[in-house]
Amino acid sequence: MTIFRFVLKRFLRNPANILLVTLLPIAVVFMPPSGWFPLPMGFQYFGMVLMFIAARMGTIVMEDRIKGTLLRIGLAPVKHSQYLWQTLAAFALILVGVSGIVVALGTAVHGNRLVAPGTLFLVFSCFSIASLGFSLAWFSLFRNREGAVATITGVIPLMMMLGGIMWPVQAMPSLFQRLAMLVPTYWLTKGLLSAADGARLLGLGLPLGLMLLYSAAFVLLGSMRRLI
Amino acid sequence: MVIARMSDVVKRYGTHLVLDNVSMEMGEGEIVGLLGPNGAGKTTLLYALTGLIGVDSGEIELFGRPLEDNPLETKGRIGFVTQEVSVFHDLTARENLEFFGGIYGLRGASLKQRVQQALETVGLTEYANRLPSRFSGGMSRRLNIACALVHEPELIIMDEPTVGVDPQSRRHILETVRELNRQGTTVLYTTHYMEEVQAIASRVIILDQGHIIAEGTISDLVEQIRHEERIRLEVTDVTEPLLQNLRSLEGVKGVTVEGRVVHITTQVGSGNLDRVLAAASKAGGVLWINAERPTLEDVFLTLTGKQLRDGGEE
Ligand SMILES: Nc1ncnc2c1ncn2[C@@H]1O[C@H](COP(=O)(O)OP(=O)(O)OP(=O)(O)O)[C@@H](O)[C@H]1O
Ligand SMILES: [Mg+2]
Repeated sequence: MTIFRFVLKRFLRNPANILLVTLLPIAVVFMPPSGWFPLPMGFQYFGMVLMFIAARMGTIVMEDRIKGTLLRIGLAPVKHSQYLWQTLAAFALILVGVSGIVVALGTAVHGNRLVAPGTLFLVFSCFSIASLGFSLAWFSLFRNREGAVATITGVIPLMMMLGGIMWPVQAMPSLFQRLAMLVPTYWLTKGLLSAADGARLLGLGLPLGLMLLYSAAFVLLGSMRRLI
Repeated sequence: MVIARMSDVVKRYGTHLVLDNVSMEMGEGEIVGLLGPNGAGKTTLLYALTGLIGVDSGEIELFGRPLEDNPLETKGRIGFVTQEVSVFHDLTARENLEFFGGIYGLRGASLKQRVQQALETVGLTEYANRLPSRFSGGMSRRLNIACALVHEPELIIMDEPTVGVDPQSRRHILETVRELNRQGTTVLYTTHYMEEVQAIASRVIILDQGHIIAEGTISDLVEQIRHEERIRLEVTDVTEPLLQNLRSLEGVKGVTVEGRVVHITTQVGSGNLDRVLAAASKAGGVLWINAERPTLEDVFLTLTGKQLRDGGEE
């Protein structure tokens, strides 16, 4: 678990990262209720916040490649997939923690309007893991740093729109409705709506399971990339 | 025991043939110098040898087993000093070593102790808690080397470890290599600096455009290319019998006299320096004798038609 430990150490050592994982989520908690969404607006968009933080976290892979440390790791008795899994686990620990804090604070601020906080926490946790898988794969596959950062920044809001966070999926043309099922954000929306609807854990099996599956698929994709 | 062996290894990048039927061998305890001009394929050879990149054909054996048998276990027995300094800039020197020791499986007290020892080996103990972004070029290079030593590898591969370091750091690095070798580590050392190879290597491999064009001990190589050696002999008294004597030695091609100095041209490897000296001492007092020999640099130039170092980088 050396990689896991040092990913945590390196991330938390940077004050900008600490601000990122505290300020943004806290802002989420205090946003007003939403129009159509059955949860306060902050929780409607918390998924997007998680995706952006995950994107920032994923740049570590690119950093390591540019600095040549990834090459060194490739020369050591460690598989590239192990490197990605341990990196994912370390960041997931942070994002799951952040999700827990946000949901707990949200309960304090919004009271009953934040229905089923336990289930929400689970949905956000699984989505964090999916977002990290996506981001790690993204930065493993791209060569150019600026290009990768710029495109992922543009792609995240698009995924949110397609996934039905900003408006109901049913409001989109039928082709988009079908395409939507291919992005993890769709399953985030599903999970949130079901949770707000009072679904039990069992009813959430599909969205939660699929988000974790997405994460695994992304990491596998990312580990196919040659190291040098 | 053979530590590393490549047989007929071919590696292409697209249509570019980078390793062209490379075969080589390294025995336990050797320091082999790998020389070659820029773009010769040295780094590619090292990457192929360690299994970091695949090859198009040919066989690679490490520690007596085919590379593909157990690549992870094999990697664990090798230390690789990369051509570029590749360390984490957001971790201190000590943390870098803890990281690299850790991914090679070291834990707890033995990791701590190995890290301490690696720091001492490269002379960075007092900078252990500093970030490498503040290091000088020489210090970064030394940390880069330490990261490859921390797990006590049996084979150390160094890809131009001394580029851009000050003379003092360089001496330190070469001394480190010698010391590691004395302790039994096998070393494959790539460099652009002929003096380094001459100072530490027991054997040299010269690579050019993906071919191994020469291989052997430094004196073997030098003898391979030069067929003549010039001996300059200064005596108290140049006598005709002495000159006769010298001319009659086997392998001597010419003898000329210039005051009290006799110039003798002889075949390389004829062992004539000894015989010239014997003949001269018999004839009277020898004031001075020296043999001008071609250097490894000459070998390189003759074989590749290139200077070992091209311009810029010094
Ligand atoms: N990943 C790659 N893709 C395509 N070509 C490559 C790649 N890596 C190396 N080459 C080419 O292979 C040749 C050998 O490169 P290599 O880095 O092995 O040379 P080298 O002897 O180490 O040179 P230097 O002394 O400059 O380090 C060069 O022509 C290089 O351009
Ligand atoms: Mg090279």
